[in-house]
Amino acid sequence: MKISLFIFNLTFYIFSVLGNDMDKVAFTEEILPLLERYCYHCHGNGEKKGGLALDQYQTERDVQKGYRLWEQLHKFVVASEMPPEHIKKRPSKSEQDLLARWTRNALDKFYRASPPDPGRVTVRRLNRTEYNNVVRDLMYVDFDPANDFPADDSGHGFDNIGDVLTVSPLLLEKYINAAEKIATKVIVKPESETGQGFDSLSNFQKEYFKYPIDRHLRRRAAEVFLKTFLRRAYRREVTSLEINRLLVLVKRGSDNGDSFEDGLRLAVTAVLVSPNFLFRWELDGAPDNPKSIRQLNEYELASRLAFFLWRSMPDDRLLDFAKKGLLRKNIRSEIKRMIHDDRSYGMVRDFTGQWLGLRNLDVNKPDKKIFPLFTANLKEDMRRETELLYAHVLKNNLNIKELISADYSFINDRLAAHYQIRNVDGAHFRLVSLNKVQRRGLLGHGSILTVTSDPNRTSPVKRGKFVLDNILGTPPLPPPPNVPELEVEQREGETLREQMIKHRTNVVCASCHKKMDPIGFAFENYDGIGRYRLTDNGEKIDTSGVLDTGESFRGVNDLQSIITSEKLDLYVENLVRKMMVYALGRGLEFYDERVVGHIVKRLRAKGYQHDELVVSIVQSLPFDMKRGEASN
Amino acid sequence: MSRQLQIGRRTFLKGLGTAIALPSMEAMFSSKALASGSLKFPTRMAFIYIPNGVIQNQWNVKGSGQDYSFSQTLKPLSGFREDMIVFSGLAHERAEANGDGAGDHARANATFLTGCQARKTSGANIKLGISVDQLAAREYGKNTRFPSLELSSDGARLSGKCDSGYSCAYQFNLAWKNETTPVPPESNPKAVFDRLFAGGSKKEMIDGRQRRSILKKSILDFVLEDAKKLEGKLGYTDKRKLDEYLDSVREIEKRVESASSSPVSLPDGFTAPSGKPRDFGDHVRLMGDMMALAFQTDSTRIATYLLAHDGDNRSYPGLGVRHGHHSISHHRNDAKKIEALAKINHYHCSLFAHFLGRMKSIREGDSTLLDHSMIVYGGAIGDGNRHTHHDLPVVLAGRANGKLKTGRHMVCSRYTPMANLFLSMLDIVDVPTARLGDSTGLLKGLI
Repeated sequence: MKISLFIFNLTFYIFSVLGNDMDKVAFTEEILPLLERYCYHCHGNGEKKGGLALDQYQTERDVQKGYRLWEQLHKFVVASEMPPEHIKKRPSKSEQDLLARWTRNALDKFYRASPPDPGRVTVRRLNRTEYNNVVRDLMYVDFDPANDFPADDSGHGFDNIGDVLTVSPLLLEKYINAAEKIATKVIVKPESETGQGFDSLSNFQKEYFKYPIDRHLRRRAAEVFLKTFLRRAYRREVTSLEINRLLVLVKRGSDNGDSFEDGLRLAVTAVLVSPNFLFRWELDGAPDNPKSIRQLNEYELASRLAFFLWRSMPDDRLLDFAKKGLLRKNIRSEIKRMIHDDRSYGMVRDFTGQWLGLRNLDVNKPDKKIFPLFTANLKEDMRRETELLYAHVLKNNLNIKELISADYSFINDRLAAHYQIRNVDGAHFRLVSLNKVQRRGLLGHGSILTVTSDPNRTSPVKRGKFVLDNILGTPPLPPPPNVPELEVEQREGETLREQMIKHRTNVVCASCHKKMDPIGFAFENYDGIGRYRLTDNGEKIDTSGVLDTGESFRGVNDLQSIITSEKLDLYVENLVRKMMVYALGRGLEFYDERVVGHIVKRLRAKGYQHDELVVSIVQSLPFDMKRGEASN
Repeated sequence: MSRQLQIGRRTFLKGLGTAIALPSMEAMFSSKALASGSLKFPTRMAFIYIPNGVIQNQWNVKGSGQDYSFSQTLKPLSGFREDMIVFSGLAHERAEANGDGAGDHARANATFLTGCQARKTSGANIKLGISVDQLAAREYGKNTRFPSLELSSDGARLSGKCDSGYSCAYQFNLAWKNETTPVPPESNPKAVFDRLFAGGSKKEMIDGRQRRSILKKSILDFVLEDAKKLEGKLGYTDKRKLDEYLDSVREIEKRVESASSSPVSLPDGFTAPSGKPRDFGDHVRLMGDMMALAFQTDSTRIATYLLAHDGDNRSYPGLGVRHGHHSISHHRNDAKKIEALAKINHYHCSLFAHFLGRMKSIREGDSTLLDHSMIVYGGAIGDGNRHTHHDLPVVLAGRANGKLKTGRHMVCSRYTPMANLFLSMLDIVDVPTARLGDSTGLLKGLI
């Protein structure tokens, strides 16, 4: 049973962190004085820079209640971002360390002491990607009808977050129009009533009907069809009442001299507009009671699984398992099967499109005059390269480090020419060794190098920020309000790097930019569309640098080694968090922290194999269970 | 009032080159009513947003009242000098950080029509406030098939997080139905056209109309029943989601009903826009044409148009501007960047001028569609370099059926809430409102 596994996780976790010396450090005696001395100058005694007043936290309990803020503060202190560099009065290294460790411990204690909570996912409507995929799998027609729906809002970096997926009259109109269009496309009138000329039937009709249909058996045929169709469309068992209501529509639609097919179209249209189809409901007995925690039924689990790994509906096999109550028992093998199914590419494209920002290839447009080689085809090849690397790691259950460190990639002739790699012919993608090439892992991919550039040149700031934020999960502080981003204009005879260093005079800006810019400079051997180069503006490029945590490097290959060794924990935890948000469709809360810790641990024990990432998320408390929600 | 269509005029959609015959407002009323002078044309309102602030010393006009001289940036609008009011001194205080830190672009975009402070969140609990257009749409929008029309030039969105921890919902929507629900815009002109004038040829429409609306009604009834069955089984947030769905179904239901009672159809022989033009300028002009068309046919009286979302980083190679707009908006007093930015500001004005030109070319009675409108053009960032939210660039075009005295530069006292202007506009369309966001009252001296 799930609960026992969960309690096991919990005990495991508690034992692993017992015996912390920080438990003995008292807030009032040892921590508060530090805050008074180093922070209150700007954040206390009436001062509240950035809206932050720290003197409202007078006990450990206060700190724990303000956990969101203190998580932030913890990061700032660890990264020496606060107090900012230009403040003279600074804590010593040991004071800084004490503050950071005490905060970490106080928050972790709080998380451990709070009761286990699977959290609550707001009902999700299908987003555009999911709608397209579901129509493909349910209706046997592939034409991306959702592409002209209004763009889905995203939150927490992904566009499948229930809270921000809204419905508007405009969207509903689009649903109706799309449903009518789909129904018209897949339900055609056979050319002959007598059994000849059924070539014109759609794949949908061939799947669900046996033509010819005798006039008197139409109702029966419709009923049989609806039984199968509706179960797939609603992703659960359906009642005879639900089927009967649709039979009424079939009849109404074929009245007035209209055909049987007209009636079917009406019923199918109605299904495709129904909230049972458009939303993924997980109905509770006590929806208003946050204490009422329950395990998902297996249909719900099948849906979560399918939308996670396929971004589409569950197939019959999953539904059949759910019906028999065998899905949880077979979860590992089912996950394996799903990963090896072609539909998993839907997840690869969707996840990398957002985690790594590959979708921005369609938004950030390199200047045509400066980068005439950047064509629509090349852009698609770039996207494909990164997706294929991810798919490779996924399908072969490789160490997730491979994403960063792979000394091979998947390229075709066009990309090979772009990367100046010889002997790659033909438009198909194949695995090519990059042993002797300065281009390792996804950080060397044209896709990522392009989306982190400005239209007309590279942007070391964006590239540095990308690594810190998307790869390591340690985004730099956003620039303070009213202070513009540091951007520079390149002049004759100077590299961009020289220019930027010159401009880094403002101490407020410099404190963050000294974290981002060196990382960005490591990429300067790649221009705004990822071509390798040795010079910038005629001057030799210097890609050496030092991270603010002390590691020195030269170029991207060094940087990726640092990420997969010294920074490995950050990278892994970040990927776990991103994938959890993506799998759950909600942001992470404090009660998820121990789940994150646990998954990281499981992953480490299994050599960071990708399967373990997926399986441990699927088996985690928030994925497997749910609870009610207090009415506001 | 009976609204039988009498189609008689042919108009041309510029930029398309295709002939299109439309039922204009004029055609909708009998000539008798027009002749007797008993007819009053409705007042239309539109809001157009420009991102990233402006180069203020090139935008600002000199002098006040009627006695002012045009600025360099506004020059493309000089032909409409007598049709518009230039404002200075307006502010959006709620777009300031006010303790929330970075994210001025997202905030500016969110605050522009709401006058409210966006709650800083990238996911759950988005919270803002109702926008001026949606407030108007609640009552004033009842008169038309579409209570309001939302447009944007931005189809594809940046993936991932938006500005500094703000949900993308804030940065890509101008219109908000209530605190938590944005009204998403349409970016494809073809889709706008299809939506406004759905459904094939005139004959087909008349033949099939009755039956089609009966069938559509049965679909809506069906899904309403489905939704109602879910209603009792949901927690707080899920219920809110279902309510969004229910509201949408009901609004469409109303539209289906009113469409079957008073048909608005287009005659044979028109061609709809074929899609989204590649060129940004062509796209914006076409969206303007669609907006004018919607007003002209009285399909709606309220529209919002996000010319580009705040923080937009598109480049303008046609103007010789190869940097991203947002990047150079932080010009740090670099002369070259300032010049490039001023060019963009100027170009946007010329696109707005195209729209005003269309509005002015459409006759309604003795005057023009523009005379019966009030169109706000502006943004919620003043100086893009410093992210200020005061001294905003704002122009109001159209006389609102004679309610507005145009042809002047109206100097408001500094930091006057922009929401005061909106309150006055609501007053003009008879939707008196006590408060919108941070408004402190009607805008003195406007009417």
